Amino acid sequence: MPDLQARMREIARRTQVPAPAPAQPSVREDAPAPRRQVLSVSELTAAIRDQLEGEFASVLVEGELSNAKVWNNGHLYFTLKDDRAQLRGIMFRTQLRYLKFKPADGLRVIARGRISVYEARGEYQITCEYLEPQGHGALQLAFEQLKKRLEAEGLFEEARKRPLPALPRKIGIVTSLDGAAIRDMLKVLARRYHNAQVVIRSTRVQGEGSALDIAQAIRAIARVPDVDVLIVGRGGGSIEDLWAFNEEPVARAIAECPLPVISAVGHESDVTIADFVADRRAPTPSAAAEIVVASRDEFSHRIERMRDRLDAAVLGRIQALSRRVHVASSRPALAGFPTRLALRGRDVTDLTHRLRQTVRARLTTRDRTLAGLRRRLDTFDLGRRLDAIRSGLTAADTRLATTIRRRQDRNEARLREYAGRLETLSPLAVLGRGYAVAWNADRTQALRRAADVKTGDRIRVTLASGELACDVRGTE
Amino acid sequence: MADTSIKDFEAALVELDSLVKKLEDGDLSLEQSLALYERGVQLSRFCHTRLEEAERRIEILTERGELKPAPSSLTADDLDRR
Repeated sequence: MPDLQARMREIARRTQVPAPAPAQPSVREDAPAPRRQVLSVSELTAAIRDQLEGEFASVLVEGELSNAKVWNNGHLYFTLKDDRAQLRGIMFRTQLRYLKFKPADGLRVIARGRISVYEARGEYQITCEYLEPQGHGALQLAFEQLKKRLEAEGLFEEARKRPLPALPRKIGIVTSLDGAAIRDMLKVLARRYHNAQVVIRSTRVQGEGSALDIAQAIRAIARVPDVDVLIVGRGGGSIEDLWAFNEEPVARAIAECPLPVISAVGHESDVTIADFVADRRAPTPSAAAEIVVASRDEFSHRIERMRDRLDAAVLGRIQALSRRVHVASSRPALAGFPTRLALRGRDVTDLTHRLRQTVRARLTTRDRTLAGLRRRLDTFDLGRRLDAIRSGLTAADTRLATTIRRRQDRNEARLREYAGRLETLSPLAVLGRGYAVAWNADRTQALRRAADVKTGDRIRVTLASGELACDVRGTE
Repeated sequence: MADTSIKDFEAALVELDSLVKKLEDGDLSLEQSLALYERGVQLSRFCHTRLEEAERRIEILTERGELKPAPSSLTADDLDRR
């Protein structure tokens, strides 16, 4: 390198002579000139080319990119400048492919390449093999650029995030079969959701071209019937190892995936573009497996809670209805016949109360049993015991439901029976059979004893249909 | 699950939830209440069954798009039975 720089300085001295006004061509200046030697433009240019291309076959030059543009032919054209000079440059498509970042105006870069002369136009330029951004690392820059672009497209928006299925039918996993990640995930799944169904699509997760492999794997697994959620990821590694998950093909495949995707790349501290696009980011592969099945326990509890509320609510209804029977029995129209009805009403209330007590007691017992079982589960081998406990619980659950149901049926029958009796005991029904009710004149009191009235009093008599106004002609 | 009146697990949960609320708030007749209760029991059973029903299965999707069982080496260090 010092060697090269020394050479560069030397060349600079020789070729960069500030064009002094009437300068003679430097070529052959030193040669004795018996006669003037005139070069053609081509000859001179060829000489310059030989010189330049020979001397600058491999250089590193730092400057700011401007006018950077990829043309239709796929090559990148740009100008490299500092505050006093400019250098044109080209980077061919074949080299451009390997750049992780997008050359953009204003970036400070170091270009590696050779100087070439384009004779037809009398121009020289640097033919660039590699561009290395200054300031950030190339990868960091590429990351920021892609992130910015996809964000501008709206791919990270919260509104795009789809909810994960409550209970996945099949869980799709895109990762390498070689790493620890897949084992970790399967281990967690086996522990938390033993009957999980999993479909794995193996893919390379690092190295040149792995991004395309991953993207293809995502598309393939999304087509498998019954797969309704995807985990895409790999275990930890260097930023280069994780790089595929920062590349556009993977980001696009996740964004376009018809299923919700959980990204699970590296460790907690590794954040990739895939994480931003995914519907859910898991800090690690194991965590992804937990996220996908956490819902199982959660829903199991939720169902239990709703079941309890359901039981309580139906009992509440029954009690409310029986209270109504009680209220009905104290309505004024029944004023003369309250006692037995009130008793009946109390019966019903009482019955319901006892029913509730029983159910409560049973629910409490079950809760306690459940809590006990859970405690034991914590200390015992979970997996082996789970099935027996579950079937025990299910059986208990069924028995409880049957008990509640049977009691409710009985209660309902009783309510119906009471309603029927209510009908026969109604004063209107009695009147229908030919009885009448005699009242005092202002109809505030039913007459029970002849002594309550005296001759000449006006009384009223209620019949099944209509009323009589009567005068008392005598009492006996 | 032969019950065709229940679409899937999620639908069952949603229905169960709204049904419980209806039963809790609504001024329903005994018959209506019991009908809802019955449906609720049916739904919660369905959900329970769905939680339990599937058989554990780990498959590999090949390049050709075929599903084949995962090599036992992958699942061997599971911490449970067999």
